[in-house]
Amino acid sequence: MSDQAPKKFAGYLVEFETPHDIMVAATSVRDAGFTRWDTHTPFPVHGLDHAMGLRGTALPWIVMLMGVTGCAVGLGLQWWTNAHNYQFVVSGKPFFSIPATIPVTFELTILFSAIGAFLGMILLNGFPRWHHPVFSSERFRRATQDRFFLSVEAEDPLCEEDKTGEFLRSLGGSHLEKMEV
Amino acid sequence: MTTMTLAHLNDTSEDVTQRPPLVLGDNDFASITEKVCSAVEMTRTPKIWWVLFGISSSVMTMLLALIGYLFYTGVGVWGVNNPVGWGFAIVNFVFWVGIGHAGTLISAILYLFRQKWRTGINRFAEAMTIFAVICALVFPGIHVGRVWMVWFLFPIPDQQLWMWPNFRSPLLWDVFAVGTYFTVSLLFWYMGLLPDIATLRDRAKTKLRETVYGVFALGWRSSNRHWSRYERAYLILAALATPLVLSVHSVVSFDFAVSQLPGWHTTIFPPYFVAGAIFSGFAMVVFLAAIARKIYGLQEIITLRHLENMNKIILATGSMVGYAYGMEFFIAWYGGNPYESFAFASRAFGPYWWAYWIMVSCNVICPQLYWFKKIRTSVPAMMVIAFFVNVGMWFERFVITVTSLSADFLPSSWDMYWPTWVDVCTLIGSFGLFFTLFLLFIRWLPMVAMAEVKSIMPQAHAHGHSTGSAAGMAPSKPKIAEVVG
Amino acid sequence: MCRKTSEGPFDDREDTVSAPNRAIDLSGEQITLGPVGDRVTRIAGAIGVLGLVATALLGMQGGVEGQARAMNSYLVAFCFFLSIMLGALFFTLIQHVTRAGWSVVLRRFAEAIAANAPLMAVLALPILVPIALGRDLLYVWTSSEALAHDHLMAGKVGFLNPTFFLIRMVVYFGAWSLMGSWFFRKSVEQDTSGDPNLTVKMQSASAPGLFVFAITLTFASLDLLMSLEPNWFSTMFGVYFFAGSALAFFATLPIVSYFTQKAGRLVGLISREHYHDMGKFVFAFIVFWAYIAFSQYMLYWYANIPEETVWFLRRQTGQWESLSWLLLFGHFIVPFLALISRIPKRAKGTLIVGAFWMLLMHYADLYYVAMPHLSEGVIPLSLMDLTAMLGVGGFFVASVATRLRNRSLVPQRDPRLHESLAFENF
Repeated sequence: MSDQAPKKFAGYLVEFETPHDIMVAATSVRDAGFTRWDTHTPFPVHGLDHAMGLRGTALPWIVMLMGVTGCAVGLGLQWWTNAHNYQFVVSGKPFFSIPATIPVTFELTILFSAIGAFLGMILLNGFPRWHHPVFSSERFRRATQDRFFLSVEAEDPLCEEDKTGEFLRSLGGSHLEKMEV
Repeated sequence: MTTMTLAHLNDTSEDVTQRPPLVLGDNDFASITEKVCSAVEMTRTPKIWWVLFGISSSVMTMLLALIGYLFYTGVGVWGVNNPVGWGFAIVNFVFWVGIGHAGTLISAILYLFRQKWRTGINRFAEAMTIFAVICALVFPGIHVGRVWMVWFLFPIPDQQLWMWPNFRSPLLWDVFAVGTYFTVSLLFWYMGLLPDIATLRDRAKTKLRETVYGVFALGWRSSNRHWSRYERAYLILAALATPLVLSVHSVVSFDFAVSQLPGWHTTIFPPYFVAGAIFSGFAMVVFLAAIARKIYGLQEIITLRHLENMNKIILATGSMVGYAYGMEFFIAWYGGNPYESFAFASRAFGPYWWAYWIMVSCNVICPQLYWFKKIRTSVPAMMVIAFFVNVGMWFERFVITVTSLSADFLPSSWDMYWPTWVDVCTLIGSFGLFFTLFLLFIRWLPMVAMAEVKSIMPQAHAHGHSTGSAAGMAPSKPKIAEVVG
Repeated sequence: MCRKTSEGPFDDREDTVSAPNRAIDLSGEQITLGPVGDRVTRIAGAIGVLGLVATALLGMQGGVEGQARAMNSYLVAFCFFLSIMLGALFFTLIQHVTRAGWSVVLRRFAEAIAANAPLMAVLALPILVPIALGRDLLYVWTSSEALAHDHLMAGKVGFLNPTFFLIRMVVYFGAWSLMGSWFFRKSVEQDTSGDPNLTVKMQSASAPGLFVFAITLTFASLDLLMSLEPNWFSTMFGVYFFAGSALAFFATLPIVSYFTQKAGRLVGLISREHYHDMGKFVFAFIVFWAYIAFSQYMLYWYANIPEETVWFLRRQTGQWESLSWLLLFGHFIVPFLALISRIPKRAKGTLIVGAFWMLLMHYADLYYVAMPHLSEGVIPLSLMDLTAMLGVGGFFVASVATRLRNRSLVPQRDPRLHESLAFENF
């Protein structure tokens, strides 16, 4: 914000005080047909996904894929190293047997799945992203503390600087602000 | 410690007609944020913190010095001998891994069971998990003897021999189990921290704080689109961590139980180790939580009911451990194997009888005091009991490891094991490492999961107390009508 | 992260706002079995009588061997229903000890099934009376001839002898009958009195109850099942039997709920959310059973000590091997994959099919434990297996139906019923 270039309109930020208010507002914004908008709440508000019309996530599929990979890697690693690449006899045990491979296979399945769940969440959410129009607002700092925000980005095809401002004002938030970058 | 005098802080009533609030006092989102963050944001670190940090970091330095001494001189500085090749190192390893289990139980299993009270203590306990596993990982690392070969624990291609680790050995399973456990716990912990680090970033007063917390917050902007995936990932991680935590101590128990040694080879070991791990872990959480909530004034968030609930879990798991002790003894006789019955008789009445009875009295008898509500809800009493539980659980691992090894099948190879001063000081030093990490954590990171606590407060309920819900969003009400009677 | 639904046992919100002790109007619901209960009792009772008579007659035909075969069929059937009863008792106890709210609407089923304990004591007589009379055909350790030849077994005679065995049985069935009947009686009492103190009483009794439960279940499983092959032992056997019992009950619960609703009872009370939770418990105990079964197997397989592996070897020889594979896939892998997603758990149809399948697998599991000592390498399937199941099962179901005939199918004035009704998964 310290650079000298003129600031550009980047969207609107509406502030609400309770989870209930933002829920009502989100329903209106959803019904108005906006696409590039979001709500920001200090904690996940139950029912907001529905109010925003969000659909499910592909995350479980990523996790499943990673889990299957981990399982295959676990079995493959043990078979390849101990039974194929360099066989050696230890106390007369078979080179490869299912019961003895289960612990490592299990652990690698979990490890891969968990990494899939974590990285999947990070990547699907577009992290890391240290710059975003919402951060231009000082008030927005309370989004991680005790206030509830609704943002509409300028890139939304329906977003017009004046008309959208009017519409958002009608939602009954406690504060309306232009985001500028 | 003094018991609390404020009436509103006692939330342990047994009124079945209504649930006690999860967060006490007149708190809202702002006050929760303030209370939790103030511990991290205070400009002057409390004196007591410096005192504790000074002690624990000096003890940790002793650990580092002793490890240096060990590397320089060799494992001869320890008391291990033939036949007791596994001494304090493995005892401490199992002890510390066990301590970690409570964190995962709270963050994952209690989450799946919808125990909302967990939100007050989960961050704290998860951090403890990670530090305990770090302490645990020190020991297998340093006890291998030729420490420069420690990379051979991992399947890394080797240019000279082109050999691989032996995957048929339970010790290698341990590497994978504990390694996975550490990684997954760290991911889970960091993911839980993400929104709270963002809170610290947004409250930062200095550029440096804002930048450091900002980098780790990854640009979290508490977007509901993010929360949606975040919560799904959280649920999946909880569902993965639940079998993981069972598997970790089960695999640790396999180290012993797949052998043919009397006293080690018994099928109840996996669930028995898991129960014992949770038991000792909860004792550690209670002990630390009782101190931290007092110092940082978090009694409204980590309430007496939290402590009471944990004490009930300690009672339950302590009794499971007692059940396992009993079953082992019974089957040792029932099985009719003279070596097996000898191993158990010598545990209780042999040269290490004192260790055995310390174990039984601390682990089985002492938690039975929690049948009394007065004791369950008394902070000084629970700190004493939690201390003894941890002593007992350390001795349990000592009894298992040492008694069985020192007197096995062949009397001519029997020998006693005694720790050296290096053994004892290394054990003490590991506590220094643990507490140093823990103190750094409570100084720089929020010790309560703020976002999670906010989500279980009555104000978080979008429908409950509002005058009306927007069309189409009413929660599915039961079809029956309610009449006030 | 905890979403805000009114489900958890430590839930606050709305409850604290409205007046405590509110009654819930259930007038729009059919909450007693009524005539349906009579019909179930008659049919099931008739099946029970026929089943037991048929088993006895079939057993008589084959001489001593046939009688022994009939006794083994009866033992498996008995243990099958005993495990469901014990699972129900466990469920009742654990719901009270955790102060659970979500499950209140389902708890009466568990209480009614757990109150079958005295019936199971009566049904145990065909096993116990021959032991008392010294004419037992089940347990080899009752034979003095066998004891004379087997020194290992003779060493256990202090524990495995008819007198002590019978005393123990009296203790187990006495404890279960006391607990099962008491919890049912107190809960029903609350239907009329609405006294919340009864909940307090049941909660305080549940914790010591779990202790008694754990110890009696463990030793009962050692006595009834493990001692069929008295030279084999496993410290985990009690936990193994417990895992199967809990699973059997969690599979029974959605089936009972489903058919109750099919008969027009509790239609608006048991929701998809409750089925989802029952499905989760079925899934959880499938995994738990697999964990216990694998640990027990792996530790003996790996150490490879003959006196321990003999038990598994017998079960991997000849036709028994196919039963081992069936358990691996049918009791774990297939249902695990089938129920891992939330969709099949929330769809009644798939959940009921899964539950029936798990009961079948539980029977296979008990068969796998109890039968191989009879015949080496051959699965001795017999008509008596079926008739014994029908016999014990008939009485079991008839008794539950009679018990619930005129009583509410939900603990209608439980202080947490409203939580259970409003409960929602996320």
